Amino acid sequence: MSGLQGLWQVARREVTQRGRSKAYLITTAILLLLVVAIVVLPQLFGEETEAFRLGALGDDNAEIVQTAERLANANDEPGGPASISIEVVEFDERERAIGALEANEVEAVIVDGGELIVERTGGFFGDASLVSLLQRAAATVALEEIVAQQGETAASVIDLMTSDTLTTTSLTPEDADDETRGVVAYAGLLLLYGAILLYGTWILTGITEEKTNRVVEVLLSTIKPWQLLGGKILGIGVLGISQFAGTVAAALIAVEVTGVFDLPALDVGTATTLVLWFILGFLLFAVLFGAAGALVSRSEDAQTVAFPMSMVAVVGFFLSITALGDPEGVAAIVGTFIPLTAPFVVPVRAALAAIPAWQYALSIVVTLGFTVAGVFVGGRIYAGALLRYGGRVGVRDAWRGASE
Amino acid sequence: MLLLRDLHKRFGDVVALRGCSFELARGRMLGFLGPNGAGKTTAMRSIFGLIRPDSGTVTWNGEPITAADRLRFGYMPEQRGLYPKMRVTDQLVYFGRLHGMASADATSSALGWLERFDLADRANDTLESLSHGNQQRVQLAAAMVHDPELLVLDEPFSGLDPIAVETMSGVLTEQADAGKAVVFSSHQLDLVEDLCEEVAIIDDGAVVVRGRVRELKDSAPIRHLELDLEGDAAALLQALEGVQRIETRDGVHTVIVDAATDVRGFIARAEEAGRLRHFAYTTPSLSDLFLEAVR
Repeated sequence: MSGLQGLWQVARREVTQRGRSKAYLITTAILLLLVVAIVVLPQLFGEETEAFRLGALGDDNAEIVQTAERLANANDEPGGPASISIEVVEFDERERAIGALEANEVEAVIVDGGELIVERTGGFFGDASLVSLLQRAAATVALEEIVAQQGETAASVIDLMTSDTLTTTSLTPEDADDETRGVVAYAGLLLLYGAILLYGTWILTGITEEKTNRVVEVLLSTIKPWQLLGGKILGIGVLGISQFAGTVAAALIAVEVTGVFDLPALDVGTATTLVLWFILGFLLFAVLFGAAGALVSRSEDAQTVAFPMSMVAVVGFFLSITALGDPEGVAAIVGTFIPLTAPFVVPVRAALAAIPAWQYALSIVVTLGFTVAGVFVGGRIYAGALLRYGGRVGVRDAWRGASE
Repeated sequence: MLLLRDLHKRFGDVVALRGCSFELARGRMLGFLGPNGAGKTTAMRSIFGLIRPDSGTVTWNGEPITAADRLRFGYMPEQRGLYPKMRVTDQLVYFGRLHGMASADATSSALGWLERFDLADRANDTLESLSHGNQQRVQLAAAMVHDPELLVLDEPFSGLDPIAVETMSGVLTEQADAGKAVVFSSHQLDLVEDLCEEVAIIDDGAVVVRGRVRELKDSAPIRHLELDLEGDAAALLQALEGVQRIETRDGVHTVIVDAATDVRGFIARAEEAGRLRHFAYTTPSLSDLFLEAVR
């Protein structure tokens, strides 16, 4: 049996055993329900009409209120429920109107089409949405009056006010997709970051399984530590990635079906880069978490070694933000060739078309090489820490222990 | 043929092996004896590459042991352990496949062993649902599911009830008779004496006694003489030469004498005096040899 067959057997066991465990099936179901709920539920509630009660005092209010409703509901689907409705409560005395406002019977009071009384302006608890709507409506009414009085001159004033007077010439050719790609790459990074934090600990505790149940000595009498470590990382990684991909797919389908927002169209190149680097990055961190797990003999100790790994992911993530701002800067270029940061930096640079082909290729080689080396180093640590049960083993001890 | 030659191994300040050597031919069963901490487990682990000796060689059929060789070895470590939540059959099939078996072969072998251990009806249960004794049986099956040529078992009898000991003994004998090389460590010396033709006794990292049990006993410098005598035995016993030790219990004297002692003459005189009720003259037990070797 060749080395990879041993690794494959281990991975297969992980997928079949862990994959049908209750814990896995339940978390998968919960995740799926959760993302669908997050997308769909606001839609269901969002269908309702938002109702305001507005106090009115004096004359000239009706037109503004009508215009406000017209503006707010301009984008509603025909036949569907209106976005807002404003119920007008007429008052004949200012004091009574203010009294109603203070008693929260109305949300604002409009006076003679020229004054608004609110409980407080601005701030977190201010009545901003109704106020700004009414302001816009009042301005529109005023403009419309001017247009009606002055004819074409006013129309051209509005035209002037709403268009760019100076024409702009860009030295960089205009590419509408550029921004989209950047946003998508960034979303991809968020997903990678999330997946690393979510499944890293999974792998870490999974690695301790054989030590906890002490089956490890039987296994290592047959297969090499790197086969066991690699197989476990691959198996748990595949389960993690499929759960993650399933969840993302469910979210995308939910978005598509409900039409919450338009999904950006992706070209093949960007999609390939994203998927490729997601897998590279995931594997790399899986191996890191796996090697860290090799150091602990009990899952209780796992958290202490998980923390530094997560910090590495955080650093990579922040570097990618730097790269987004300055994709050809020194930080971005250095980050391209450091295996731990490359999965975060390269997709961003590629999306912004700011990475030479040789750098792209070299970063793949560096990252993959580091991952493969990580399996062997992790395997050695695993073997070294193996026959010392109890507590945590220092990296140096474990490394030396492997030759014992 | 398994050969461990002059193994040395040091863990920090602790010397685990200092010139450990023994050999084991196929079709033979070797009892590997020694006090706790003598180096038994370290020596066994060296066969599987779990530890790397500082010097010395471990060979199989005259060649250094490779990963491919180990696929035809079976190992039951002292640290028992399997996957608690995995079904018994799946577990055995997995170990079979790790040893390079095809899926179908591994399955039929796994089911065969479960049948042999009366566990066929538990085939689809998880390991953790089995009793301790049955888990031990599965552990043994896991070491043998791939029909290994060499079987190495570290303390296979520890913690077993008499029935399980019987099963284990039966299986090991069967394996040796089928031409497998079997080595196991144990502290149960009577059991080893019953089961094994050959033993190796390790003390302080080196094998101090090895050979066929029969020959070891014959060539031992001492003999056991059990005597039941009427009247005052003390005077009679004084006439016996080469006495090393006398233990008396319930009027029966167990005398350790030099192998060269003329026991025949002594018995004749005792019988002439009409004093001999019962006697037994035997080679020493394995326990005696063991204690002698490691004292």
